[in-house]
Amino acid sequence: MPIAGRKKHSSKLPVLLVAPALVLLALFTFAPAGYAVYLSLMKLHVTGGLLGTSSTQAFAGLSNYASTFSDPEFWHSLSRMLLIAVIGVPSTVILATTFALCMDANAARLTTVTRLAIFLPYAVPGVIASILWGFLYLPATSPIGGSVINYFGNRAIFFTVANVAVWGVVGFNTVVLYTALRALPRDIRQAAEIDGASEMQIALHVKLPQIAPAIAMISLFSVIGALQLFNEPTALKPLTNAITSTWVPLMRVYSDAFVNNNIYGGAASALTLLVMTVALTVGGGAVTTRLIGRQGK
Amino acid sequence: MISPLTRRPLSRSGAVAASVLTAAALAVTACSSGSSSSVSASSPSSSAGSSGQVVHLTITDWDNGMPAVVSAWNQSHPDIQVQLIKPAGTGYTLYNKLITDNRAGTNPDISEIEYQALPEMVANKVAISLNKYLPNLSQTYGSAIMEQAQFQGQVYGVPQNICPMVFFYRKDVFAKLHLTAPTTWAQYTADAAAIHKANPKEYLGNFDAADPEWFAGLAQQAGANWWTASGNTWSVAINDAATQKVANYWQGLVSSGVISPEPSWSTQWLTGMNKGNVVGWISAQWAPNQFPTIAPSTAGQWTAVPLPAWTAGDNTVGTWGGEAEIVTASSKYPQQAAEFINWMNDSQLGLNLLIKNVDVFPAATFAQSSPLLQTPPPFMSDQPSYNTLMASVAKGVRGFQIWGPDASVTFSSYSDAFASALQNHTSFTAALGTVQSKTVSDMKNSGFQVAG
Repeated sequence: MPIAGRKKHSSKLPVLLVAPALVLLALFTFAPAGYAVYLSLMKLHVTGGLLGTSSTQAFAGLSNYASTFSDPEFWHSLSRMLLIAVIGVPSTVILATTFALCMDANAARLTTVTRLAIFLPYAVPGVIASILWGFLYLPATSPIGGSVINYFGNRAIFFTVANVAVWGVVGFNTVVLYTALRALPRDIRQAAEIDGASEMQIALHVKLPQIAPAIAMISLFSVIGALQLFNEPTALKPLTNAITSTWVPLMRVYSDAFVNNNIYGGAASALTLLVMTVALTVGGGAVTTRLIGRQGK
Repeated sequence: MISPLTRRPLSRSGAVAASVLTAAALAVTACSSGSSSSVSASSPSSSAGSSGQVVHLTITDWDNGMPAVVSAWNQSHPDIQVQLIKPAGTGYTLYNKLITDNRAGTNPDISEIEYQALPEMVANKVAISLNKYLPNLSQTYGSAIMEQAQFQGQVYGVPQNICPMVFFYRKDVFAKLHLTAPTTWAQYTADAAAIHKANPKEYLGNFDAADPEWFAGLAQQAGANWWTASGNTWSVAINDAATQKVANYWQGLVSSGVISPEPSWSTQWLTGMNKGNVVGWISAQWAPNQFPTIAPSTAGQWTAVPLPAWTAGDNTVGTWGGEAEIVTASSKYPQQAAEFINWMNDSQLGLNLLIKNVDVFPAATFAQSSPLLQTPPPFMSDQPSYNTLMASVAKGVRGFQIWGPDASVTFSSYSDAFASALQNHTSFTAALGTVQSKTVSDMKNSGFQVAG
C-alpha cells in the first residue's frame, strides 16, 4: 500500500472514534460548566410590587463569590470536610495496604474468600450503606451499643461519617494494591527469602517500596473522593440533629441551588470548590509523578 | 512493560462498521436524553382546545386517594380529561422543580401547593392570577383562609383544606397515670414531667427541629406575625416577643429532658411512637392519615383534643399544612384548569370526594357541615366525633398575615439553626435571631424592600 494512502486512511479513524466522546463531553460537561460560570456572575433582581412579579436576572459581578468567601459557614464546612479527610484518607490507605500485604504473604490462607469479603462493601451503593450504618448507630435500633455510646455526638460524628466512607472504599483500594503486589517480579522477593528475611521484613522493605507508586495513586484518589464528600452526610442527615444542611461544602452547594432557590450563589460556591479540587489534584499529581519517576523506570 | 501494539491497518469494512456503531451510539444517546423522565412534559401541547375537542390537563398532587377524585371528574366531564401525576418529591423538592420547569414552560397545568409556599410561587411567576376565571371565590372562604391565597387583590390559588393543630395522646398511658388531657401549656409541662418521671424512657412529645411549619404554627397560636406587608414594603419579625415566648417554653422542656429532641418522622421518633416511648404528638388535622405509616401497632389507642392554650379558655390555634391548587403559567388551558380546581375544592361534590378519599377537612365554609364529616378517619375509628372536633377547632384558627417571598430560606435556616441548638444545647432565641437575619439578608439581596 502506498505510504500516502496509509497515512490518509489511519488519520481519520482516531478522530472519528474520539469524536462522540468529545461531543458528549462538550455538550454535557463543558457547556453546562460554562453556563454555571455565567450564572455565578448573575443575581436575581426583584421589581414589580410586593411579590416581585417581574423579577429579572441582573449582573452581579463577583458579589456571589464575595458572599461565599465571607460566609463563615463556608469555611466551617470546608474545615469539617478536611477533618473527615484527615481521619478517612490515612485510615483507608493504611488499612488497604495492610490488607493487601497480608493477603499476599506466603502464609496467607483463604485469600479468595477474604478478598471477596473485603471487596463486598464497595458493591453496596453509598446511600444504602449510609442508611444501613445509620440504623447501626441509632440508639433505638443499634446492636453495637448505640444506647451507650453517642455516635452522633459533636466529636464522634466525624468518626461516624468517616467510618461509613472508609468501610465502602477500603475494598476497592485493597484490590488495587493487591493487584500491584501480584504484578511485582518474583526474583527480588525470592532473593530476599534466600537471604533469610522474615515475612514482615519482606513486606516492609521489599514489597512496600515497590508498590509506592500505587499507594501514592490510591492516596490521591482518596483525597479527591474526600473532597467530594456528599452521599454519607446527606443520607445520615434525617437521622440526627448533628448534621446540618451545609455540613460539608457540596451539601451547601446543593442546598443553595435546590432548596434555597439561589442558583447563582450555588454556582459560585460550586465553582470555588472546583478550583480548590483541581488545584489539589494538580498538586497531588505532581507529587505522584515525582514518586513514580523515582521508583519506576 | 507493556509491549507496544503492532499497528495493523484496519480493513475498510472495519472502518465502516466503526462509524456506523458510533453514529448509532450517538443517536441512542440523543433519544434517551430527549424522552425525559418528567411525564409533565406530555399533555398540554397535544390536543387542540376548541369546542368539541377534548382538552387534556395534568395535575401534580401528592395526597393518597387522589385517583378516585380525578376519575370521578373524568367520568362526568368527557370534554376535559385530567391526568394525575404523583410527584417524586414533596415540599421544597417539588416547589423548586416547579420553579425551574417554569422557565422551560414544562410545568403541569395544575399543582397542589401548600399555603406557606404560595407567595414564593407567585414571586417566581409559577402561579397565575385566577381573578379572570373565578371571580367569586372570596364568597366561599373565611377571611383567614382567603388571606393565604390572595395577594394585593389577586387570587392565586383555590384553597382546599384547613389544618388546625391538634394534640394527640395515648389515652391508655394517661389513664394508667391518672392524668387528664392538658388544656394549658402549663399543664402540658406538668404532664410531661409526670410521664417522664414515671418512666424515664417515655416522653410526652418531641421538639421538631426538622419541620419549621410546625414551629410556625405554634408561633401563630402565640400571636406572632413573622411577615407583614404594607404597600410594597415587607417587615420581617421572626424573633418577635410572641415567637420568643414559644421558643423559651420549649427550651425549658428540652433542657429538663422531659421532651425528646428527635424530629418527627426520623427513625428514632418512628420507633419511639410505635413502641410506646413517645406517647403524645403535637400535630394537625391530617395526622390520622399519617398514623398508619408511623405507628401501626398503636391503632385505636390515641385520642385527639384541642391544642393546649396559653390562657385557659383561649381557643386560638395555628395551622400546620394546608394546600391550595394553583394554575401554572405553563398551562395552555387556564380556563378549563380553573374550572377543574373550582369543582374539586369549591363544590360539594368535589369536596365530598376529597373528604372520603383524602381525609381532608375542607376550607370552604359551606362544606364544613357535610354529613360525610360525621364519620371519623379510619385510624381514629374510636373517636367518632373527630371531625366535629375539627369543625369547632377550625373556628379559632389564626395565621400569619402573609408568608414571605423566600420562605424556603427561612425554613432551611430554621432546620439548621435549631438542629445545632439542640445538638450543642445552646439558646433557642439565639437560633431565632440567626433565622431572622438570614431571611432579611436574603430578601434584601434579591431586591425586596424590607423595612428596618
